Amino acid sequence: MQLLLLLAVFVIATCGLIYELVAGTLASYLLGDSVTQFSTIIGVYLFSMGVGAFLSRYFNKNLLRWFIQIELLVGMIGGFSAPLLFILFPIASSFRLVLYALVFFTGTLVGLEIPLLMRILQDKVEFKELVSRVFTFDYIGALLAALIFPLLLVPQLGLIRTSLFFGILNIGVGLFLAIQFGKEVRRAGVIKGMAILLLLIELVAFVFSERIMNYSETLTYNDHVIFATSSPYQRIVLTKNKREMRLFLNGNLQFSSADEYRYHEALIHPGLQAVQQPQKVLVLGGGDGLAVREILKYPSITSITLVDLDKKMTQLFSTNHLLTQLNKGSLNNAKVKVLSEDAFLFLKSNTNKFDFIVIDFPDPSNFSIGKLYSNSFYRLLYQALADGGVAVIQSTSPYVAPKSFWCIDETIRSVGFHTAPYHNLVPSFGEWGYILAFKNNSYKIPANYLPGLRFLNPATAQQMFVFPQDMRTTQPLAVNKLNNQVLVNYFEEEWNAYLE
Amino acid sequence: MHRRQFIQSLSTLAGGSLLLPACGGPSTKKIPGEIVGASASIGHLLRDGGLQGPVELAGTTDVVIAGGGISGLSAGRWLQKNGISDFVLLDLEKHAGGNAASGHNNICAYPWGAHYIPVPNNDLTEYLAFLQESNVITGYNEQGLPVYNEYYICFAPEERLYINGTWQNGLVPHAGLPVEEQQQFKRFFEQMEIFRQAKGSDGKDAFAIPVLHSSTDIQYRQLDRISMRAWLQQNGYTSGYLHWYCNYCTRDDFGTRYEEASAWAGIHYFAGRKGKAANAEHQDVLTWPQGNAWLAQQLQKNFTSQVKVNSLVVNVAETNTGVDVIYFDVNAKRLKKIAARKCIIAAPQFIAQRLIKNNNRLAAIHEHFSYSPWMVANLTVGPLQERRGEELCWDNVIYDSESLGYVEATHQLLEQHIPQKVLTYYLPLTKSDATTERKKALALQHADWVQMIIKDLQKVHGNIRDAVQHLDVMVWGHAMIQPKLNCIHNPERQQVAQPVNNRIFFAHTDLAGISIFEEGFYQGIQAAKSVIQSFQ
Repeated sequence: MQLLLLLAVFVIATCGLIYELVAGTLASYLLGDSVTQFSTIIGVYLFSMGVGAFLSRYFNKNLLRWFIQIELLVGMIGGFSAPLLFILFPIASSFRLVLYALVFFTGTLVGLEIPLLMRILQDKVEFKELVSRVFTFDYIGALLAALIFPLLLVPQLGLIRTSLFFGILNIGVGLFLAIQFGKEVRRAGVIKGMAILLLLIELVAFVFSERIMNYSETLTYNDHVIFATSSPYQRIVLTKNKREMRLFLNGNLQFSSADEYRYHEALIHPGLQAVQQPQKVLVLGGGDGLAVREILKYPSITSITLVDLDKKMTQLFSTNHLLTQLNKGSLNNAKVKVLSEDAFLFLKSNTNKFDFIVIDFPDPSNFSIGKLYSNSFYRLLYQALADGGVAVIQSTSPYVAPKSFWCIDETIRSVGFHTAPYHNLVPSFGEWGYILAFKNNSYKIPANYLPGLRFLNPATAQQMFVFPQDMRTTQPLAVNKLNNQVLVNYFEEEWNAYLE
Repeated sequence: MHRRQFIQSLSTLAGGSLLLPACGGPSTKKIPGEIVGASASIGHLLRDGGLQGPVELAGTTDVVIAGGGISGLSAGRWLQKNGISDFVLLDLEKHAGGNAASGHNNICAYPWGAHYIPVPNNDLTEYLAFLQESNVITGYNEQGLPVYNEYYICFAPEERLYINGTWQNGLVPHAGLPVEEQQQFKRFFEQMEIFRQAKGSDGKDAFAIPVLHSSTDIQYRQLDRISMRAWLQQNGYTSGYLHWYCNYCTRDDFGTRYEEASAWAGIHYFAGRKGKAANAEHQDVLTWPQGNAWLAQQLQKNFTSQVKVNSLVVNVAETNTGVDVIYFDVNAKRLKKIAARKCIIAAPQFIAQRLIKNNNRLAAIHEHFSYSPWMVANLTVGPLQERRGEELCWDNVIYDSESLGYVEATHQLLEQHIPQKVLTYYLPLTKSDATTERKKALALQHADWVQMIIKDLQKVHGNIRDAVQHLDVMVWGHAMIQPKLNCIHNPERQQVAQPVNNRIFFAHTDLAGISIFEEGFYQGIQAAKSVIQSFQ
């Protein structure tokens, strides 16, 4: 019995430290600032172990039974700590409170165990022997945990499975003791039943841990997730902090409410202001309705066709209160027709001519999106643009990816367009680029803009069309075609180098 | 490392690292699908003489074309173009097209056989005209080079090869190869380039398309007398990777192992293509989701009313005034006869000569013609796990596999969102001789093929078994002529295809020796021209 109980000490010590490390690591990754997180977690944990030790004096009868029960409780709470924290992170308004409460509770229970165990063994072993052995096992267990956690567990199992795995171990020890000492424990059957039930629950959770992980993807974001949904095409996540609201598609920032006006004013007005009496407008992409908001400022416009593949996006941006506030309900405007179609297929079958066309696609980061930046696509664009019309294409960052930016320019010109590239600073994105395309070379940077714009005025507009040397490239660039997709290669090369 | 990346990699590890009884063991999931198409059982009625009964006269016509593969369709197109529209084309299958067969499901159309054409050689005037007619060529640039429709040029990324634990770009092995072997590849391709440019003393290209236009210079003809493998050895090529590559190429184009394929044919694979284009290179290919079935459709678009499908020709016999063609109407289940003035038999010779009941020719065919069996499968798949290296391409080949890998039929679609894909998997059955392999293949059940394919693809897509939603299989007993030794410039082979009394003509790629689209196209034109001439 003595050896078994000492082995239990060993397992308990290992598990205890593991829970602490899991909590510390998790807090570091979720909240950042690992020094603060580890420091406070360790502090709270050790303190709560003290609380547990103090409370142990109030346990007087059925010590072994209590010990096993506590073991099961630790297994449950500690085991589920990581999944619980991952899931609660985006939901709970005061995540830290939950975090420290969990750490405190686990610490208290672990703190109870050693004193209880020593009292169970006090009549069986000489005191100096007992103290020596219990603490020896305790500290060896701690060393083991400290070594395997970073070397084996995190890389092999991940945090959620590590936490569940040790929960299972804890409960396993409890069950084992309940079976071994069934005669010395009152109503051992109930405890055994409990232990088996808990064991099953944790095993199930262990098997499905990947789903838990997916569910808790919101930990990617620094701010509070106020809305998250999956469409067949992408994951849409909206976050909010005191200053701004941000939209992420598949984890990539689409806009920040704090500076999106800089992007959308620059995207729309230099082109649209140059069109005489624009009436029909086409927007490809831009399901957030923010570009449409800017376009609707021109009274001559009679119809806006917005083509966005993802119905969920356009629905969200025409119904969600916060979002319709941001886009001024643009998608619900009677002039706006929203089509949920593939942009390439739409243009291929389109027979209409538009006075102004906005192309606001994601950056060409893969072969699929790369098709929407090909000469074949721009040829269709040429057909869709009225003779005196202007098209504008968002064209990634000419500062980070000059080759990509100028490759897009080269490709647009290869199908017969004249172009006018320009750029501005959007703090959330960095220095951003756009290209105007038109059929005859008569474009002049507009000298007047609508009143009430926050970024654009005649002076800033002039400046946008000036490219310093660091946003140019001397390398000869190929035209992006469906059968070479050179743009995707440029883009990958340049952004990877930038992000490394 | 960035925090987000860290968590993402954790989740991947958490998901993928542990084998759990509940989700890790071999799945016993049954994969739905069936063995489809290529009506072998009906075709064998012909071989076994099982079609008897009264014959109903179904009409008279100027010309019957027996067989609706590329040769037959091309012959029909040529007749129509040249003012002969009183003809009937008979084909056994539900759709004409022969090897250029295709299927479709709710995702896209996909090929069951031939699935691309290389950028054509510029001297093939009739062929280029057909492609322009079909809007594959949209015009010519100032240098007179054809401009190809960019929706039909294979999109990037085109090809990848899984080798030495990684997906490398392109099919020519380079990832993880020793320098010495890389140099052998370099030398090999330099030599092929010389062959590509070479002309014989007769002024003809050493390796031309159609092959019968090639130079008959002895220095090139003698390449037809040794195997591709022997040629490699004679020329000091020892690299195992290079040998694999050449064997892959002869199996890919000819369904024939490189120790059996004539070196002339093997080299033709590299040296025959000389196409120049305004917007493509000679190694580029033109392709469609449904493969060459798209071209088959274009060939027959002006004479669809003359195409009679579900019609198995069983006998072609001369009469006093012309040719009687008897066929089995599969739907009506009865024999019918068309009295024609001329007949073009656009079928492989083992069938053609049986139709005219010429036993001497049949014997020659058994001696000189052999056809390779193939299995083609189409897999509908959800998201696939990928090995490291290049992303999914149009053509995806696994080094050292029995199969030729797979082609992504969905590759040529323009859409952004293609959650399910259709993969067309090709397996030339070249393990042993064609007859044995054919018998074995026809005896296999759907489940056997599934197991074989899954096992092969599991090397590169760990989750393939779970990702496959549907898998159909087609077995081609006689998929294509095998260019074995002495096959290209063999007078005996030319002999068997001599027209019979200016009434019965023959057109098929097996008369050329290699089964490529251009050969079928010109075989058809040649036969049609002979028919037109015979009318004059």
